[in-house]
Amino acid sequence: MITLGHMLTLSAVLFALSVAGIFINRRNVLLLLMCIELMLLAANYNFIAFSRYLGNIDGQIFVFFILTVAAAESAIGLAILVVLFRERRSINVEDLNTLRG
Amino acid sequence: MINPALNESTLTLASLAPAITEIALATGICAVLMFDVFAGRTWRYLTHGLTLVVLAICAWLTLSVGAVATRTVLFDGLYVADKLGVFLKLAALMATALCLFYSQHYLDRRRIHGGEYDILAMTALLGISVLISANNLLTVYLGVELLSLSLYALVAFDRDSGIAAEAAIKYFVLGAIASGALLYGMSMLYGLTGTLSLDKLALVSASHGAGFVIAVAFIVVAVAFKFGAVPFHMWVPDVYHGAPSSVALLIATAPKLASFALVMRLLVYGLGADPVLWVQMLTALAVLSLLLGNILAIAQTNIRRMLAYSAIANVGFILLGFVTADTAGYRAALSYTLVYVLTTLGSFGVLLLAARSDGEADELDDFKGLGTRDPLLALLMLGLMLSTAGVPPLVGFWAKLWIIQALLHTHHLGLAILAVLVSVIGAYYYLRVIWYMYFDAGREQTPIPRQAGTRLALGLNTLAVLALGLLPNVLLSLCERLIGAP
Amino acid sequence: MLVEILFYSFATIVVLAGAGVIMARNPVHAALSLVLCFLTSAVLWMLIEAEFLAIVLVLVYVGAVMVLFLFVVMMLDINIEEMRRGFRRYVVPGAVITAMLVAEIVGVIVQRRLGLDVTRGAVPLPPGYSNATDLGIALFTRYAYAIEIAAMLLLVAIIAAISLTMRRRRGLKVQDIAAQVGVRASDRLRVVKMDAEPRQ
Repeated sequence: MITLGHMLTLSAVLFALSVAGIFINRRNVLLLLMCIELMLLAANYNFIAFSRYLGNIDGQIFVFFILTVAAAESAIGLAILVVLFRERRSINVEDLNTLRG
Repeated sequence: MINPALNESTLTLASLAPAITEIALATGICAVLMFDVFAGRTWRYLTHGLTLVVLAICAWLTLSVGAVATRTVLFDGLYVADKLGVFLKLAALMATALCLFYSQHYLDRRRIHGGEYDILAMTALLGISVLISANNLLTVYLGVELLSLSLYALVAFDRDSGIAAEAAIKYFVLGAIASGALLYGMSMLYGLTGTLSLDKLALVSASHGAGFVIAVAFIVVAVAFKFGAVPFHMWVPDVYHGAPSSVALLIATAPKLASFALVMRLLVYGLGADPVLWVQMLTALAVLSLLLGNILAIAQTNIRRMLAYSAIANVGFILLGFVTADTAGYRAALSYTLVYVLTTLGSFGVLLLAARSDGEADELDDFKGLGTRDPLLALLMLGLMLSTAGVPPLVGFWAKLWIIQALLHTHHLGLAILAVLVSVIGAYYYLRVIWYMYFDAGREQTPIPRQAGTRLALGLNTLAVLALGLLPNVLLSLCERLIGAP
Repeated sequence: MLVEILFYSFATIVVLAGAGVIMARNPVHAALSLVLCFLTSAVLWMLIEAEFLAIVLVLVYVGAVMVLFLFVVMMLDINIEEMRRGFRRYVVPGAVITAMLVAEIVGVIVQRRLGLDVTRGAVPLPPGYSNATDLGIALFTRYAYAIEIAAMLLLVAIIAAISLTMRRRRGLKVQDIAAQVGVRASDRLRVVKMDAEPRQ
């Protein structure tokens, strides 16, 4: 039997991986966006697990909306990235140092 | 079997009346979008005016149709309408309309004005009003995202400016991480309580356990980010500096009302059964924001970065209102937010008008000699800066006083002393702007555009700051009516 | 027993793929690891009987969002070597933070201090139960308002993506096919009547 603890642990590991990824890949915006997707996946795991183990459909509804919003979010994020790349020819975070102080 | 029995009798057209703001705004957005797409080059200049008309209609409908006497819950508990909500929506509508009005000239001069600008501002406003009326974790999330996504796009709106794109990507990445934290916290909360509804959460949330602490911590992180409180403030100076000034004006004003509503709905109402947990976290955020915001503001030479750090310090004050965890504190926080939004609208409005000939007013030095170059604008800026610094006859003083009174009433002596001390530090950099305007000779000689309409609006805006300062009871009784006695 | 074997094997793949995302040296490899992560997650969601979302994850995420990511990776032509400089510098603090987070959250779950029973299994579903029907009914009745807001959100994404990335460059020479086809002889050629000149 897959218990609630199984799913929650998996979700926690994924969440921690995504946080570590954000730390490790501070230099590359594209990889940062992928780490954020991983973080949303971890939250989705939680919602689905709780929904199934509480016998309550609301959590799955929430996941449905997270998927929608995340798709919209990555579309906008990548659009901004494209604008940035056109201006700078680089998406390296260390080149993003015009704004300081 | 999982679905509870549906409540079939509720949904009639008349029952939707309290949600008229969102309905009218969404309809208006689609109408303006269609107009902008099909208007062609000759008529497109009307989009901006049409947007203002739509906002006016929304405000009128909110007052006439949407005003509710008591707390009303709609859409199976997803939506709540109450007096506070109606008022905050009106304030947000007015703030957004003023932002668009003030920035018209600036946008035309920098040639970045397009119909999409007005539409994205309206969708941000829709997000704000969804958030104000949220009564469910799902609607809180959707409101936050609708607001944030519109703002990310607006920050990057000036595609030919490298720093705008840089500010936008920083804002976006940090914002997306904050959303991730918010979601993780919400999922824990849902798992522990078995509900997404804030009504039900308010009844059951007094359960303890490590899971609950983690959930609240994640949610507070997200709230702090949206507010721009230290240590989640990194995006604020970059966005204020990098984005077009008109977008910075928009971000500095209406979304603050949304952040206030977010705390009121999510923490004060939803997690209100056990405030100790989030009060501790908010205290830390408030203290850090007050100290760091005020100290770093002194070091700035760019006026927009200075206003950004001043915003961080002011957020610290608003959070202090919540730290008291009693009605008087929430009222003080509400009045502080309103006063802050009103004053910031004015000072950013002056900034937009006084922009250099190349379109931006960046450096503090640009304000040198404004007193002789344009006495009227300098006088308005004088009033606004004095109010923000908290000089007595103006409304900013009362806002600070009420927060400190609320702190003293709840025996937070240390925090009250800190608030007074940082206000004194803060006064220094506001007064410095005044010094530059009146006692330093400026290099910039270009005359400032006349723009009679904008000047009139700015004058009324500053007059409101003065009038509310002379009649503080108006604001006080308003806040008392909006946030009821315990 | 079979369910547990399936869970553990797919969970291992998810974690390895997740590690692949954050450690990959090449953004394309990271994107592909993320695809693997989503696909195996869909299998796990199937295992706990959330079928509809499992399919949506594959269709929307793998089918649309990750393809978008790959498009952008290929379009931007990023200097990978440049990207990975200083990778080592962040690995150690990153690993430490991960270890701490995992220890903390898993510790809370395992020690059952979460405030709920983590050893229970999923609520059994009645025969003939349809996940899609159940979700659909809830989505279009109780959550109708949320659907409308989500629709506005997608509209924002469309407007933002178009207004940010579509640009008309000035001075760019392009063909206007309609104008080319619609051209008539009289637009190009002027027939001038004139008297013949007398021979000298």
